[in-house]
Amino acid sequence: MSLEIVISPEASSGKRISIAGSLDSNTAPDLQQSIDAEINDSVSTTIIDFKDLDFLSSAGLRVIFKTKKIMDGRGGKLLLVNLQPQIKKVFEIIKALDGMNVFKNQDEMDDYLTAMQNKVIDED
Amino acid sequence: MNSKLQNRQSATLQNKMSECEKLVELLNSYAKSKDIPDDIKNDLRLVTEEIFVNIINYAYKSANTQSVDIEFNSNTESVSITFIDTGIAFNPITDCEKDIEKNDHCEGGMGIHLIMSLSDHQKYDRIGQRNVFTITKYYTKKQ
Repeated sequence: MSLEIVISPEASSGKRISIAGSLDSNTAPDLQQSIDAEINDSVSTTIIDFKDLDFLSSAGLRVIFKTKKIMDGRGGKLLLVNLQPQIKKVFEIIKALDGMNVFKNQDEMDDYLTAMQNKVIDED
Repeated sequence: MNSKLQNRQSATLQNKMSECEKLVELLNSYAKSKDIPDDIKNDLRLVTEEIFVNIINYAYKSANTQSVDIEFNSNTESVSITFIDTGIAFNPITDCEKDIEKNDHCEGGMGIHLIMSLSDHQKYDRIGQRNVFTITKYYTKKQ
């Protein structure tokens, strides 16, 4: 069981982490390492894309919660997108979707990001 | 051979995270041989990983090489999986509950919450120097 991690830049100092395969006890440390290396103070929005993730265990959930805590702590945002039913089920059991920014798909997330962007422009 | 024995399959793994992969292979092969539906198998994959990781992290805290025996059993209604280790006495149900009560997403607590939610019955026994933990999942949800 392996995990493929691709980190790519997004607009407005954002980073997208696309994960594919299995986020479990063996692969969670790899994701943690990538996040520690790439998601520094200059990153305002971290997007985790679950489109190709087949399996998620509590070890993987812990990495996601830790990332949320770090992003919250620096006034940034963690967005979760494209959760497949089997992955969403795990979040629901832990009752962890409250307080998380979860989007069904890219379009829904784009709408949110545009609204956020407009809000910043209006405030300026 | 009697049919009860035909439905039983066992294996021994070492207390290493890398053995999770073998655990998945064992589960997949057992599920295939018994025509266990995919949704049940997927739930069991998560349940077995969480139990196995708890054994490594808690029962076998002292890291030297030890073994974990795993036994699969099934009948027309359900599948059961038993984990046997010789680590320190560790009842995942009671020893992890305090983590859930704290509503904290910390070690152990989330794992046992997943185990309890995705299996229908859990039983822990300390037999001699062994922890024996069995989960059962019914193919159809009991009312």
